[in-house]
Amino acid sequence: MSNQLAFYFDASACSGCKACMAACKDRSDLAVGVNWRKVIQYGGGGWVPDPLDPRYPIPNNVYSYAVSVACMHCENPLCADVCPASAITKQADGTVLINTDLCIGCRYCEWACPYGAPQFNEGTGQMTKCDFCVDLQAQGLNPACVDACVMRALEVGDLDELRQEHGSIDAIEPLPLANITKPALVVKPHRHSSPSGQGAGRINDPFAEEV
Amino acid sequence: MELREWALIAYSILAQMSVGAFLILGVVHFAATRKAGMEEADRLSDRVLVAIIITLGLGMLASLFHLGSVANAPSAVTNFATSWLSREILIGVVFAVLGIVFSAMQWFKLGSFASRRVIAWITAVVGIALVYSMTQIYMLPTQPAWNNFATPITFFVTTLLLGSLAIGVALVANYAYVQKKNPDCADVQCELLRYVTRWIAVAAVVLVGIELVVIPIYVAYLVATGSAAAMASAKMMVDPYSLVFTLRLVLAFIGAGVFGVFLYQNATNPGQEKMMGYMAYGAFALVLIAEVMGRFLFYATQRGVGLM
Repeated sequence: MSNQLAFYFDASACSGCKACMAACKDRSDLAVGVNWRKVIQYGGGGWVPDPLDPRYPIPNNVYSYAVSVACMHCENPLCADVCPASAITKQADGTVLINTDLCIGCRYCEWACPYGAPQFNEGTGQMTKCDFCVDLQAQGLNPACVDACVMRALEVGDLDELRQEHGSIDAIEPLPLANITKPALVVKPHRHSSPSGQGAGRINDPFAEEV
Repeated sequence: MELREWALIAYSILAQMSVGAFLILGVVHFAATRKAGMEEADRLSDRVLVAIIITLGLGMLASLFHLGSVANAPSAVTNFATSWLSREILIGVVFAVLGIVFSAMQWFKLGSFASRRVIAWITAVVGIALVYSMTQIYMLPTQPAWNNFATPITFFVTTLLLGSLAIGVALVANYAYVQKKNPDCADVQCELLRYVTRWIAVAAVVLVGIELVVIPIYVAYLVATGSAAAMASAKMMVDPYSLVFTLRLVLAFIGAGVFGVFLYQNATNPGQEKMMGYMAYGAFALVLIAEVMGRFLFYATQRGVGLM
């Protein structure tokens, strides 16, 4: 046991359906523009002239896969380091939570986090982020996103145990390099995914802000 | 850009201008004391000191508009162990308090000259620490457009450039106030004014030279690092902000460079005090606009790594 709760995400299984995102939004009743979990479509490849008839293009290594991203409850949470108000703290179970009694809404954590996890709620003037559904976990239930996944691509558990079971990969494209914040994440790569920083693809559906 | 972002621009520019003006005024006072004695030096600078404190106060007021939840503002100083933003706010408050104490001592001639000088030195060092802490706020490993040599260099150049030109304007205005009855400019104050203005003009030309060298190197550096985020920031200087980027450089060049040279000439020859005043106002206005545009670009072209 590492006393660090973590997410496991199976990129090889994820269909990009966004049920996790919808479940998260519903469970925490998130405002428009605030999405604690996002599903990002990443892909690459292109077209080449058909060798049989160069007038026609044919697909060449075209690929696409989805990555479901929420707060990584990092081992080195940069957001908590930079928060001037001591509003973001790492709990004993490894979760990183925001105290709204202290948050001043300066949005500095937003600049620090490479996962886009802390998000501003225009209505309250404060930052919000994934709380790992701590209330559900206290009742022995899974976070809403985990239970909503039809492909069973999401799991929650102890970081060490998840690593023993699934390996220790924590950064595939388009996730940022893991050395910045040491995310509490275990990823099973998609067959087309490259390690972070080595991909030649791009994010194909920049997340729609109006959701 | 919304109000909250303009609040950041206003605060950072006003705070840096206050620190720069305080430092430059210290140098001016020192030089004027050696040339004409302490009494004349005080006449030259005491009102200006009060203007600096007011500028700083306005800046700090503007910074509150940046917050989404002003009611919790007092908690913003609690995380000084790891957060440069907490440190900056603490240092800013210390600078403001020291500035007010020193201004009061100087205005009412409280304490000995030596004790006032000690307070002035401490305030100056805290001011430099304030600008340093402002640079560190932006040195985040996730922000390649900020996390490089250009942030500290440009922040300190802005501090000294705006500071010296603001002092130029303030001294001209102060002189107009002090010498309403003596427009022919034949007294010690006028001599001091011309002497100080020459050095301010020299400082402005040198500082804008540094700025005009560093900014192109900075953009080239962003392109050379090759990270997607740095490249995105560099591209934004061309599209959609090419006009702002160009104007920012041109206005700084005209304001501090061209007006600076004229300012020096006008301050060298007695009898051109009126034109010297216009040049001082013009240089300050142009450079202020250029620096505000530069700070706008600083925030507007920021692109973080990863999924921001």
